[in-house]
Amino acid sequence: MNFNRRQFLGGGAAFTGAMVIGAPAVFGQAKPRVVVIGGGAGGATAAKYIAKDSSGAIAVTLIEPQAKYQTCFHSNLYLGGFRSYDSITHDYGALKRKYGVSVVADRAVKIDRDKKDVILAGGRKVPYDRLIVSPGIDLKYDSVPGWSQAAEDTMPHAWKPGAQTLLLKKRLDAVPNGGVIVMLAPPNPYRCPPGPYERVSMMAHALKKASKNKSKIFVIDPKDTFSKQALFQEGWEKHYKGMVEWLGPKVHDGVKSVDPKTNTVVTGFETYKNVALVNVIPAQMAGAIARDAGLANASGFCAIDPASMKSAVDKNIYVLGDSCIAGDMPKSAFSANSQAKVAAMMIRGELTSSKTFDARFTNTCWSLIATDDCVKVGGAYEPKDGKIAAASTFVSKTGEAADMRKQQQAENLGWYQGITADIFA
Amino acid sequence: MRSVASMALVALPLAGGMTSAMAVGDVELGKYLSGECVTCHKAAGKVEGGVPPIVGLPEDQFVALMNSYKIKERANPVMQTIAGRLKDDDIAALAAFFGKLPTTTSKR
Repeated sequence: MNFNRRQFLGGGAAFTGAMVIGAPAVFGQAKPRVVVIGGGAGGATAAKYIAKDSSGAIAVTLIEPQAKYQTCFHSNLYLGGFRSYDSITHDYGALKRKYGVSVVADRAVKIDRDKKDVILAGGRKVPYDRLIVSPGIDLKYDSVPGWSQAAEDTMPHAWKPGAQTLLLKKRLDAVPNGGVIVMLAPPNPYRCPPGPYERVSMMAHALKKASKNKSKIFVIDPKDTFSKQALFQEGWEKHYKGMVEWLGPKVHDGVKSVDPKTNTVVTGFETYKNVALVNVIPAQMAGAIARDAGLANASGFCAIDPASMKSAVDKNIYVLGDSCIAGDMPKSAFSANSQAKVAAMMIRGELTSSKTFDARFTNTCWSLIATDDCVKVGGAYEPKDGKIAAASTFVSKTGEAADMRKQQQAENLGWYQGITADIFA
Repeated sequence: MRSVASMALVALPLAGGMTSAMAVGDVELGKYLSGECVTCHKAAGKVEGGVPPIVGLPEDQFVALMNSYKIKERANPVMQTIAGRLKDDDIAALAAFFGKLPTTTSKR
C-alpha cells in the first residue's frame, strides 16, 4: 500500500480538494485500486474516465514508460507534410493534474494474476483490484524472411509511433527522383486497416510535392483486398498517376526474402534491387505483457467479453484496443477509445456500484488521399452472439464531389482535436 | 446555420412532446452516452474545423438535430450512424446532459 499511496499523492497535487472529502480514511485498503497498463488511446482514456467519473473514490494508476506519446493516428499526415511532429505529441500532465491519475513512468514486465500484482521493470509491485491491459501491438519480427528487429533501422516499420516515425520521414525525404519505394503491407489482423494505404498516399504526395514524379511506390500485399480499396485506387489514379503500383498475392506470389544490407526485396514475381526505401509493416500480435500473462489465445490476441471488455480468462482484467479481439471493430484509436469508455463504466459499476448501461461502441476512420481529398469508413457496434458485432456501417463512395471530400478532411482534423482532448486533456 | 435553425423550428412539436422525457432524462445515461459524442465534439472548449460544438445547445435544438440525422434528413453518415440507434430517451438524456454543460472554455 505504501507504494500506491505515495504515488497517488505525488500524482495528484491538484486533486487535494476532492481528496479532502474522504481523507484520511480513503487511504486504507478499502479504496479500490485500478491499474492501467499502457498510455495510448485505450489505456489513457480508461484511466481518465475512471478517475474523472469516480471523483476520487477509485485510485487509478497508469503505467506507461514514455513521458511523451506520439499518436499513430495522423502520423501519416506528418509523413505527407500536413502536420508537424509536435502536433501529434502528447503527455500525461492533465491526467495527473486534473483527474488525479497516478502516472508511473516505468515498464510493466509481468502480471501476477494470482496475487493481483503488476511487476515493473524497476522491480516494484503495483497491486490492483481491477487491471486494464492496453499495451497495443507487438511486431512479429520473424514474419518477413531476412528482416529483424535490428533491421528496423534500415528497413523501418514506423507502425509504432516515435523514433520510427521520424526515421521513416527522414528516409522518405531522402528518396531521389526516380527512386523506388517498396512497402510490404501486413496480413490481417493489424493496427489501422486503412493505415498502410493512407501512408502510400501520403508518401506519393510528398514525392509529388518535391517534384519527384519519376519515383514509384510498389505495395507488396499478402491480402487479396484491403480497406477502402476502391477509394484509394481511384485516388492514386487521380492524383499520383503512374507513381503507385499495388500487387496482390496472386501477382507477387509472396515475399521470399529481404536483405537490409543491400535494400533488396525478393518476391515470387520480381526482385527489387537498390530500393531507396523499404517500409516493412510486419504481422502483428498483442503486446508481450498480455501474451505473457496468458491473456491471449492461439491467434496472438486476447479474447474478451463483448458486453464489458473483460478478459475471457480473468475476471479481474480488462483488455482494450489493439491487443483485444474486438469482433467486427477494426484496430483503431477510435475503437480503443470507445472500448475504454465501456470498460471504465463497467469497472466503476463493479467497484463502486455505480449504474451501468448496455455496452455500445463506435468507430470512424478518416484517410487522407491527397490535399482536401479525405474519405471515411465507420460503424456502430454492439455485443451480439458472443462478439462485438457491427450494427450498421458506412463507407465513402468513389466519385464523391470535391467539396464533400474537403469537408471530410476538416472533419478529420476536428476529430483529431476532439479525440486527443478526450484522451489527454 | 439557417438550415439548422429552421430544422429546429420544424421539429419543435416533436421536441415539445419530449419535454416529459427530458425532465426525467437520466443524467447517468446521458453522461455515459456522451462518451460517444466527445470523441469528436469536445466536452470543453471548441474544436476548430469540421466538427461543430454541441456543448450548451438548447435541448430542443439538440433533439431536433439528432432526429434529423436519425431520419437521414441531414446527410453526414457518421451522425446518421450515431443517431440511428439512439432511442428517444437516449436523445433526451444527451440533450439534457450537453445542455447543462458549461459553455465557457476551460483553461485547458
